[in-house]
Amino acid sequence: MAQDIQLRLRSIRKSFDGQNGRIDVLKGVDFDVYERDFVSIIGPSGCGKSTVFNIVAGLLAPDDGDIIYRHERVSNLRGRVGYMMQRDLLFPWRTVLENIMLGPEMQRLPKAEARDNAMEYLNTFGLAGVENAYPKMLSGGMRQRVALIRTLLTDPDILLLDEPFSALDYQTRLYLEGVLVDAVETFNKTVILVTHDIDEAVALSKRVVVLGGKPSQVKSVHQIDLGSRSPVGARSDPHFSEYFHTLCGELDIQTKVKQ
Amino acid sequence: MSRATALSRSRARSMNPRRTRHGLINTSLGRGLIQLVSVAAVLALWQVGVEMGWVSAFMVGAPRQILKVLVDGIVSGSLLVDTYYTVVEAVLGFVIGTALGSFAGLALWYSPLVARLTEPFLIAINSVPKIAFGPIVILWFGTGLVSKVALAVSLTAIVALIAAYQAAKTADRDLQALLLTLGADKNQVFFNLVVPSSLPAIIATFHINIGFGLVGAVVGEFISSERGLGHLIFTASGLYDLNTVWAGLFMLMLIGFLLYFVIDFIERRLLPWKEAATANAFHV
Ligand SMILES: Nc1ncnc2c1ncn2[C@@H]1O[C@H](COP(=O)(O)OP(=O)(O)OP(=O)(O)O)[C@@H](O)[C@H]1O
Ligand SMILES: [Mg+2]
Repeated sequence: MAQDIQLRLRSIRKSFDGQNGRIDVLKGVDFDVYERDFVSIIGPSGCGKSTVFNIVAGLLAPDDGDIIYRHERVSNLRGRVGYMMQRDLLFPWRTVLENIMLGPEMQRLPKAEARDNAMEYLNTFGLAGVENAYPKMLSGGMRQRVALIRTLLTDPDILLLDEPFSALDYQTRLYLEGVLVDAVETFNKTVILVTHDIDEAVALSKRVVVLGGKPSQVKSVHQIDLGSRSPVGARSDPHFSEYFHTLCGELDIQTKVKQ
Repeated sequence: MSRATALSRSRARSMNPRRTRHGLINTSLGRGLIQLVSVAAVLALWQVGVEMGWVSAFMVGAPRQILKVLVDGIVSGSLLVDTYYTVVEAVLGFVIGTALGSFAGLALWYSPLVARLTEPFLIAINSVPKIAFGPIVILWFGTGLVSKVALAVSLTAIVALIAAYQAAKTADRDLQALLLTLGADKNQVFFNLVVPSSLPAIIATFHINIGFGLVGAVVGEFISSERGLGHLIFTASGLYDLNTVWAGLFMLMLIGFLLYFVIDFIERRLLPWKEAATANAFHV
């Protein structure tokens, strides 16, 4: 079960200008992502998860380190990743459909086909009928779904999802987790997911990368082997809670009453 | 079904504190009525004051005579001709100045270097009262229509330019980042983000600039002209004909008022997404 490495991050360092001089955020982050992988990144708030995404997507330059994509050193993956940022970033003057169509529009792809795809996604995501509404009229969860569709519609090799489900109620979340897993299986996508939700990380991922320390490094990488990767199936797997407790331990979250 | 909606509607109304507390005042008919009555009262007081000799008709004019000047001017058409010239000058000046200024201001987004180089000059030009250019403008462009338009352009262009540049400069950085990750080039960022996100600020200057357009036109006419409301007011005041002065001022006010609503209409047409946001505003 030798797997090809699609993306490799090596010793990525990044510091920012703070009020009292430079603040180191990433101190040499290393991890690999396989072809058709599903990797979750977890870690405490402010540890630099979004920063890693910004570097991979080419919005920030790392201070040091290499990004290797399919055995080739690249400066970043701009144009090859679909990046769903933590803010939903919908354009207020564009309707839902116009927002979703941004990717194909920027890449000057044929409109009609993209439109059909977009409408199909809207149906799957339970947003049929709101395509002509402006974002202001939507709930937080709906806005998040629109942003997710926009990311999926660009059909990138790698999806970078920064807390895509954080504003959703549990029911919708389970449903959309399922939709996401199905979509990436069907279309052979690679996903890197940032989440605060350990439960979600275990249920969806093949592997979980834990960031920690100050400045941050990869603390550990956990292989997740569950019988099912459907959101509900995974959560009812007998090994689920084992993984869950291990990861909580990694993040120093107390899950068992001490004797 | 219909009973249920009627019930919920009446409940919604009674739960809205503004409606119940102020009643008629909060309908547009009620407000218009109050405004009309106030104006009529002031005019009546003015007329009575003149007739009773409390104030001098020579120094302040009188509503009845002003009305006569207005009616005579409209019947003979001379007032309409003056109004026409002033409107054309103001609107041309407004459109040309606002367009030039907005385009220039947005274009500065393309080059932060050029923007930084020109910024102090813009501030310097903006701080000069442009009316002071009036005599030069007349010298350069003659006493006809062009000089008034030029003066109005000089007033409106700088306002639009500064507003457009500020707005373009502050376009959301995250939205820019998003467009870049979607594969947009610089022109696409400009047309899909910078222009639409600056539009509200640019349109906000329309309201100010339509006034400046009128200022440019009227001041140009004051300095040198054969026609226009500024000309009418200037010559009438030289003759102590206060009623004609007031008639001219009234026409200017009417123009400003109408143009304001035209702009308002355009604004709502151009920014439907803003409408969606304000329709559900909270009562504060
Ligand atoms: N552009 C920036 N300039 C200065 N500091 C920054 C910048 N971006 C991020 N930081 C800092 O870097 C650190 C990591 O930020 P980042 O957004 O990557 O955290 P995160 O792990 O995504 O947090 P969260 O889980 O809360 O989203 C934070 O302390 C933040 O203040
Ligand atoms: Mg983050």
